[in-house]
Amino acid sequence: MTALPGTRRLLITWVMLMGLTGVSMVSARLDQTTDWQALSLWSVALVLLATAFKAHRVLMVYLNLRAATPAWKGIFIGLILVTLALIAAGYLAGRFNLMG
Amino acid sequence: MSRDLPNPGWGPLSTLPGNPLMWVLILSEMLVFTAFFALYAGQRALDPALFNASQQQLDPLLGGLNTLVLLTSGLCVALAVEAISIGRTQRTRLWLGAAMLLGVVFCAVKLIEYSDKFAAGLTPETNAFFGFYYGLTAFHFAHVLFGLALLGLVSWRTSTENVETAAAFWHMVDLIWILLYPLIYLIR
Repeated sequence: MTALPGTRRLLITWVMLMGLTGVSMVSARLDQTTDWQALSLWSVALVLLATAFKAHRVLMVYLNLRAATPAWKGIFIGLILVTLALIAAGYLAGRFNLMG
Repeated sequence: MSRDLPNPGWGPLSTLPGNPLMWVLILSEMLVFTAFFALYAGQRALDPALFNASQQQLDPLLGGLNTLVLLTSGLCVALAVEAISIGRTQRTRLWLGAAMLLGVVFCAVKLIEYSDKFAAGLTPETNAFFGFYYGLTAFHFAHVLFGLALLGLVSWRTSTENVETAAAFWHMVDLIWILLYPLIYLIR
């Protein structure tokens, strides 16, 4: 049995995850019900940053990877970062018409 | 030293909680989803106007609600692991039951969303965006159903290893949705 995060840390993490989800929703301007516009680059960056931080917290606390070796942490965090980089690259390529 | 490891004798997998084979599954599932996300990002780059217009047909508040539901369900599963680690079987089952209930809520919200879209004539064949929308979310939905079955199974056969194994899978389902939500609903 690995060292578990403990109830307090789990609850703090849950509050953070809820808050970051709220940050993502506000950044994505969900109040734009009639005037649906593309987000500013800052808003997109904030959504992706909040997503990266949420994924990191789920990996380290919920999945308890903090008790695993640095190699495992690196593999999972690396995979998340690659995924987010691909999402960002696709978004930017479309935004700046890089694909013709 | 090796006695402290959760899975001694499993080589590089020995430091991971639960059944090591579940981690092989988790890593392979994450790679599959990453490939699909990359495909979506590539298609979006080719036709951002179509993807933006189609995204407008979705309900990002329902997607956000489902994110909160799934993250809370993840908390319940993590608390179940804490409970089983100190031998509180009844409490473990309660947390697992709460997690499953929230998983069912997630499924219900998703089905409401699907039926709204179908009623509006938006099907997987409408355009490339909706092909991805249904494909990615339905694939994730299938994982939620499998996760619910696993949680049900370990509520019946409750042991530390079983609960840790099912919890790891459920958190992976959480993690995929965390990435899927902004990709499909938010970023435009």
